[in-house]
Amino acid sequence: MRQALVAITVAIAAVPMLLAVAGLPRPGDAQAPVHTHVAARYVAEGARETGAENLVTGVLLNYRALDTFGEVMIIFTALAAVMAVLSSAAPRRPEDDAPGIASAIPISPVVAFIIRLTAPFIAVFGAFVILKGHVSPGGGFQGGVILGALLMLLSLVLGRGLERPLLPVPLARWLQAAGPLAFAAVGMLGLALTGALLGYPAGPDQQLLRELMVIVLELGIGIGGAAIILGLFLEMRGD
Amino acid sequence: MSQAFDLVMLALLIAMALAVARSKDLVAAAIIFSGYSLIMCLLWQHRGAPDVAMTEAAIGAGVTTILVLLAIGRTRRREK
Repeated sequence: MRQALVAITVAIAAVPMLLAVAGLPRPGDAQAPVHTHVAARYVAEGARETGAENLVTGVLLNYRALDTFGEVMIIFTALAAVMAVLSSAAPRRPEDDAPGIASAIPISPVVAFIIRLTAPFIAVFGAFVILKGHVSPGGGFQGGVILGALLMLLSLVLGRGLERPLLPVPLARWLQAAGPLAFAAVGMLGLALTGALLGYPAGPDQQLLRELMVIVLELGIGIGGAAIILGLFLEMRGD
Repeated sequence: MSQAFDLVMLALLIAMALAVARSKDLVAAAIIFSGYSLIMCLLWQHRGAPDVAMTEAAIGAGVTTILVLLAIGRTRRREK
């Protein structure tokens, strides 16, 4: 009975989806709506208009900056939600599951040595990905996650939990809000310069300003992302 | 050649998705899902989306796996 219900549900969901996919234009079709609408303008003018040679970054932080503002707020809200839920949750009950995975196994010296050895390289790579995101693949989200993963590894190796975090708590709170703060600052600057929130000055001699605004956003997203990932990790480990 | 790569990767994706769904050991499921993200990352790169590929490798294969493992550590390891 249950299996039949599952099969019917899957069929109801899958048949319209497959029909819709069958109606899509072929990949690479030059007449597809996605290529005839705004994409042509982005490809032709994007690098000049946005101050970002990487068109993905151009769309993300200039043409669709308001959407990205929303994304950054989502990540920030996720951390706030995790903190709120875990601070009100019941303390961990070890008898639920005898072989606990989080804390039972000490870090092996080999792993600790490798992490310490590669940490500076990972840090440089993360910073590079954040700062080069407007010219090459990468950007604040990717570089921020790389830095956040590094902070996670270092917390593990150095044995730093919530009671002795890598960053002092008040500083960490500000860094976790870096993404929304950077968007608010750049957005208000755009409002002052062009009259539109997150507007970018359009003059041909303001290329440098446009590029700087993109870099400030990337830095905010990257630093905020790294701090939020570390925060999530510490909160969820909870020891 | 390019098509063959896509087909092999897609077959692997389906196999791993089924393995995740069928596994009763949640730690094993989390690790297989990390492998799923890694293959997805290769596919993104192959389809010419390096930005998405980097995000998938860092978030999908890395951070998400750790967060899922931590969540399992706070609850139960085996699905009932």
